[in-house]
Amino acid sequence: MSVETRRNLGTVRLPAGFNGLLPALVLIVLFFVVPVLALLLRSVTEPEPGLQNYAALLGDGTYARVFFNTFLVASVVTIVTVLVAFPVAWMLAIMPSALASVVFGVIILSMWTNLLTRTYAWMVLLQRTGVINRTLIAAGVIDQPLPLINNLTGVTIGMVYIMLPFMILPLVGTLRAIDPMTLRAAALCGASPFQAFRRILVPLSLPGVAAGGLMVFVMSLGYFVTPALLGGTSNMMLAEMIAQMIQSLLNWGLGSAAAFILLVVTMALYALQLRLVGARRMSGGL
Amino acid sequence: MTQPFLSIRNLRKAFGTITAVHDVTLEIPRGEFLTFLGPSGSGKSTTLYAIAGFQDPSSGDVLLQGKSLLSVPSHKRNIGMVFQRYTLFPHLTVAENVAFPLRVRRRPKAEVKKKVADMLALVRLESFATRLPGALSGGQQQRVALARALAYDPPILLMDEPLSALDKKLREEIQGEIRRIHRETGVTILYVTHDQEEALHLSDRIALFRDGRIEQTGSGEDLYLRPATDFVAGFIGNSNFLAAEHLDTTDGTATIRLADGSVISGVRANGTFGNGQKTRLMIRPEAFGMERSPASAELNVEIVDVAFYGERRRIVARTAAGEGVDIRPTSAAMPSQDVSPCSWQVFFDPAAAFLFPA
Repeated sequence: MSVETRRNLGTVRLPAGFNGLLPALVLIVLFFVVPVLALLLRSVTEPEPGLQNYAALLGDGTYARVFFNTFLVASVVTIVTVLVAFPVAWMLAIMPSALASVVFGVIILSMWTNLLTRTYAWMVLLQRTGVINRTLIAAGVIDQPLPLINNLTGVTIGMVYIMLPFMILPLVGTLRAIDPMTLRAAALCGASPFQAFRRILVPLSLPGVAAGGLMVFVMSLGYFVTPALLGGTSNMMLAEMIAQMIQSLLNWGLGSAAAFILLVVTMALYALQLRLVGARRMSGGL
Repeated sequence: MTQPFLSIRNLRKAFGTITAVHDVTLEIPRGEFLTFLGPSGSGKSTTLYAIAGFQDPSSGDVLLQGKSLLSVPSHKRNIGMVFQRYTLFPHLTVAENVAFPLRVRRRPKAEVKKKVADMLALVRLESFATRLPGALSGGQQQRVALARALAYDPPILLMDEPLSALDKKLREEIQGEIRRIHRETGVTILYVTHDQEEALHLSDRIALFRDGRIEQTGSGEDLYLRPATDFVAGFIGNSNFLAAEHLDTTDGTATIRLADGSVISGVRANGTFGNGQKTRLMIRPEAFGMERSPASAELNVEIVDVAFYGERRRIVARTAAGEGVDIRPTSAAMPSQDVSPCSWQVFFDPAAAFLFPA
């Protein structure tokens, strides 16, 4: 193999230090590119060659609903995450740095806590006889328990909680880069706090919102644990469907096709993001 | 005039245990160019921020045409401001930046368009209207900031060290622009700087700040020629301070004895001094001449170094008592540059020398 590789290297001009990159390249090809190709191959060969898996997924109303629901949940989660993360990120950006690092620590700590534990904790809080419902009933605010679990509400609450750090961190970076004097200047120009927020702060924070939003949206599209535990059967997400296809139905072809569609959509979104925000500004925001 | 245009009354601002502004009172007539001059930390910016509404004073009041501004939030004060750092909105073009204060005031489109054109013409940046601030030099950015601050015809324009980030040449150029714009618009300007030359060049009147108080308020000439305190004398222009013993004062002119033993009479006494009290005599470097006149006093010095600065020479000298003296006669008055260390006699008008407490 080495002889052949050398011959190839001789004909193509490679950047200096390329040999040092080889192990990483081999790793990526072996563990990322090959499996994706295998996935693609499977989706068009099982149970028999052809595009019937894709036709089934895209043509069938049931599957279409799962796709729709996946995008609905991911969109709702992303929007709610942005709305919740923005004030937190702003607070972190203007806080004295010593205090900010403590708050950062708390946020990171929540990320390090086991995902399953956190999701079960939400179940305890949200279920019909859970802490929230019992407290509200005891306080006389409601007399029937609110449906907080096994529906879109439950999935949104649980996922927003998990996604928040991924939104807050890039957003803080972007907000910190905004000179607070710019907002004072806006105020003296006659902009009310709301006008300064809408016309200055929001546009200037867009790169961070876009970077965090994309990450949250993409992660949400393929999320499994939280929707499986907090969601209902009527709003199944793509990852749950793939699991079901492969685990219960052993339909590898259909599962692979669904996974591949998810991958293509994700990459398309990423490409769109790069075009809209610009690769440099986004990495700066992160 | 019954009431001043803008008045600052007994303004005091404390941050915790630190008092940034002790007691500042000023009255500013309409159309004046007043500069807050002083070293950093002297309270000049804090005073400006209180007028802008960024910081609430601990006590005191700021009145515009008799009405207190303190309860009015920044965005309703209708004050223009140019900041030290570039604070243009980076995502808006030059024209949109200038239009911003008009848009938030919901002025009609046609009016906004005309005003933006007028303002860009005022700062001579018509051809930059569609650029983003990032594509402009520092000087151009500050000119846009000036246009933005004046677009809504504010009665007062605040400027917080607007030229400090620029190099010397640009600074001078924009100083010229600011003077012209002040003349053309008649806007009342409060200008903060630590640069005395800038203050002297631009202002109608200067308020010299020190440790949260105003040391002296007056025209540049007042401060330079008639400094009220040794701090003012030391801050504005160059000055020599010589240790002196006060012998006697009659009619505001004092007789003193310098450390080398020479007695000089006819100097201006700032304050009252007891006989034998230790004082300091301030003489401007350019007050020294090379020729004796009937009224002049003399000072024996030893020349240490002579440097040529074009219109003036700078002589570093020492008195017999070892005190350094900076002498700057016109170049014509002192033809030779090649002076080796030697004794020399220089003369000054005692009426241009001031006596301050030690």
